[in-house]
Amino acid sequence: MNKVTLPSLGVTLEVEPGASLLETLRHAGVDLESPCDGSGTCGKCRVKLAAHERAHVRESAHDLLSDAEREEGFVLACQASICGDLEIETDAANAEGEGLRILSEGHGLDVALEPWISKTFDPATASTRILAGNTLLGVEPGDTTGRLYGLAIDIGTTTLVAALVDLRTGCELATASSLNPQARYGQDVLSRIKLGSAPDGLAKLQGDLIAELNRHAADAAAQAGVDPRDIYEAVFSGNTTMLYLAVGTDPATLGKYPYTLTRRGAEHVGATGIGLEISPLGLVYLPPVMSAYVGADITSGILAADLPHTKGVVLFVDIGTNGEMVLGIDGKLTATSTAAGPAFEGMNITCGMRAGRGAVERVSLSDDGLAFATIGSTEPSGLCGSGLLDVVGELAAHGGVDKNGRFQHNGTAPDKPWKSQWERVDGKPVFRITGPVYLSQKDVRQVQLAKAAIRAGIELMLKENGLTPARVDRVLIAGSFGFHLRTESLINLGLLPRAFAGRVEFVGNTSRTGAQALLLNHPARGRLARVAGTVNVLELANNPAFETTFLQSLAF
Amino acid sequence: MTVSAQQLHEQLATAVVELDEDLTKQLAQQAIDLGFDAWEAVEFGLVAGMDRAGKLFDEEEYFIPELLLASDAMYAGLAILRPHIPQQNTDAEKVRVVIGVIEGDTHDIGKNLVRIMLDVGGFEVIDLGRDVPPRTFVDRAKETGARIIAIASLMTTTMDGMAEVVRILEAEKIRDRFKVIVGGAPISQGFAKKIGADGYASRAPAAVQLAKRLVSEPQAA
Repeated sequence: MNKVTLPSLGVTLEVEPGASLLETLRHAGVDLESPCDGSGTCGKCRVKLAAHERAHVRESAHDLLSDAEREEGFVLACQASICGDLEIETDAANAEGEGLRILSEGHGLDVALEPWISKTFDPATASTRILAGNTLLGVEPGDTTGRLYGLAIDIGTTTLVAALVDLRTGCELATASSLNPQARYGQDVLSRIKLGSAPDGLAKLQGDLIAELNRHAADAAAQAGVDPRDIYEAVFSGNTTMLYLAVGTDPATLGKYPYTLTRRGAEHVGATGIGLEISPLGLVYLPPVMSAYVGADITSGILAADLPHTKGVVLFVDIGTNGEMVLGIDGKLTATSTAAGPAFEGMNITCGMRAGRGAVERVSLSDDGLAFATIGSTEPSGLCGSGLLDVVGELAAHGGVDKNGRFQHNGTAPDKPWKSQWERVDGKPVFRITGPVYLSQKDVRQVQLAKAAIRAGIELMLKENGLTPARVDRVLIAGSFGFHLRTESLINLGLLPRAFAGRVEFVGNTSRTGAQALLLNHPARGRLARVAGTVNVLELANNPAFETTFLQSLAF
Repeated sequence: MTVSAQQLHEQLATAVVELDEDLTKQLAQQAIDLGFDAWEAVEFGLVAGMDRAGKLFDEEEYFIPELLLASDAMYAGLAILRPHIPQQNTDAEKVRVVIGVIEGDTHDIGKNLVRIMLDVGGFEVIDLGRDVPPRTFVDRAKETGARIIAIASLMTTTMDGMAEVVRILEAEKIRDRFKVIVGGAPISQGFAKKIGADGYASRAPAAVQLAKRLVSEPQAA
């Protein structure tokens, strides 16, 4: 065990060697900015280490820090695994304790080590037998029992994250991440389904994805100093479309009502068959999927958040283009998804952009005027999803838009210090945030459509179970995007009912933590498949109350 | 206090645009009680109000719920006035439109807005609903003598069905009997052109202008 001491918080934690520095700090309650949620793409979770401690972490390869920054002792917390004792100075003001805790010990990290793949050495023949469950996969010459690795891969529509795990110890050895290369063919799931519905399009989407995953496998293996051919199993977590494309299944039926499934997951495919360059004996496990729009990423989330064993009423929501949600009532689960559209990714928004350098990610209005924060120390150039939801939420809370979403630029509140932000662009009123970044009336409409979809899903799922929002004990917001949202903005927008105030927790990338748990503990797979089979999946398209509920949810 | 027909029309229009269903009903009844022409009350009152609501929607001042509430008020007034409209006015031949959401897609709020605006705009609208096969658009257009086929899609994956409607019309050599108009979030002017549709509108009120323009063009024999 390694000790991590946080003097400003008066906390000392004991962690397994190999533990992620970011996760460890989060457990300690340190509010470290990590907009890409540990994908290793944003470079924000930098932490400065004393020179003598520099060797106590091992960092995955990345180019998000300059040589000078590395000299000074900066590391990226999400890319650093702990391999010695550390003492870290943090800004105590950033520590929030409870609010920021992501997966508690019992969920993400402490699963019993019981991998599907095992090895036994037979001295008589001087060879190693590789078993999947009780089935013999193959035999290797010599004693290779010391080398047994697995990969947990989160295949997001936008980002990919792969974690290399030692299946003998359960330790995460290295991670690799990148954007999903399929995004160049289309940002959203529907455009990928369309392309993947033709054989050559499917081959292209699958080929590019697997090639990128092979790079991740090789990269992670190199970081950890292991041979990728000693990786015997990978778990692919992702939405239904991503899973289909990864294994080369025609996704056409997913794109058209009634959205039938031709593959339900909870199964293995051969790694060689899909071109994944791990052991030639290797297997890929696909977690169960529940519907075309409630996929393996959500089943993984159910596991990561331990919904089947949670007492009380728990609502799990993945806020994104497809707002998937699961309601647990003493472990009995209902799931649905809503088409929120791409507004949360900054698409279809006048000054919208992805959460990258120059994106305004925070906006607040107060008696002191307008304040904002930008990703990276650079000039603001656009508005990303979290900034968008902030500014619209703030306007709604402060009377800048009325309940129907109309700009109140001619409002009768001259004392508002941010009144001067109202301007006209092309003759139309806009709300200027800073420099070239502003919000238009059309943008507010896009936010209304997106948030109403998710709110309507929540309302209908609660109604289906005879509940009101006040009856929900805990609200878990999953996903890398969700991680950067403020509860206050979500409630001001009406994306979440006001009754949820004080009950919201951000649980991070549960698709990834769930995939890792499935990799380490194979009995969890069978249990999860049985749970998935009992989940009541609501198809909102057929719900007669959807339209009315959606229309009501457009209001602020 | 006396009110002129003109004043009452203005009040009706205002009640609709201000989303006041009760007041609209009250004023519609008043128009009947005062013996005003019911058809004029519809045309210069209710429809004028709905036109204004459509304009506000175009300007992003109004959003979907307001447009629907305005149409609720308008239809409530219409229910009162319609029985009093002389036969020759209602018999006037309206241009028929078949409208629906293409096969594979069930998102129909946008289509419903276009249906209402076309109705207000003086078209007779035959609503085929959602998840409608391309073949059904053609068959129903033929049966009803429609001149316009209006197709909506919210999903990229279902857009090709729109092209299929055009292909069927061409295969049956009846393409020039119909104007095909398309709309929905993933649709663009370029896509409409590519599939050989006659027009595209980005918003519901604009669809009415488009439809009116298309039917005023000389019709092929």
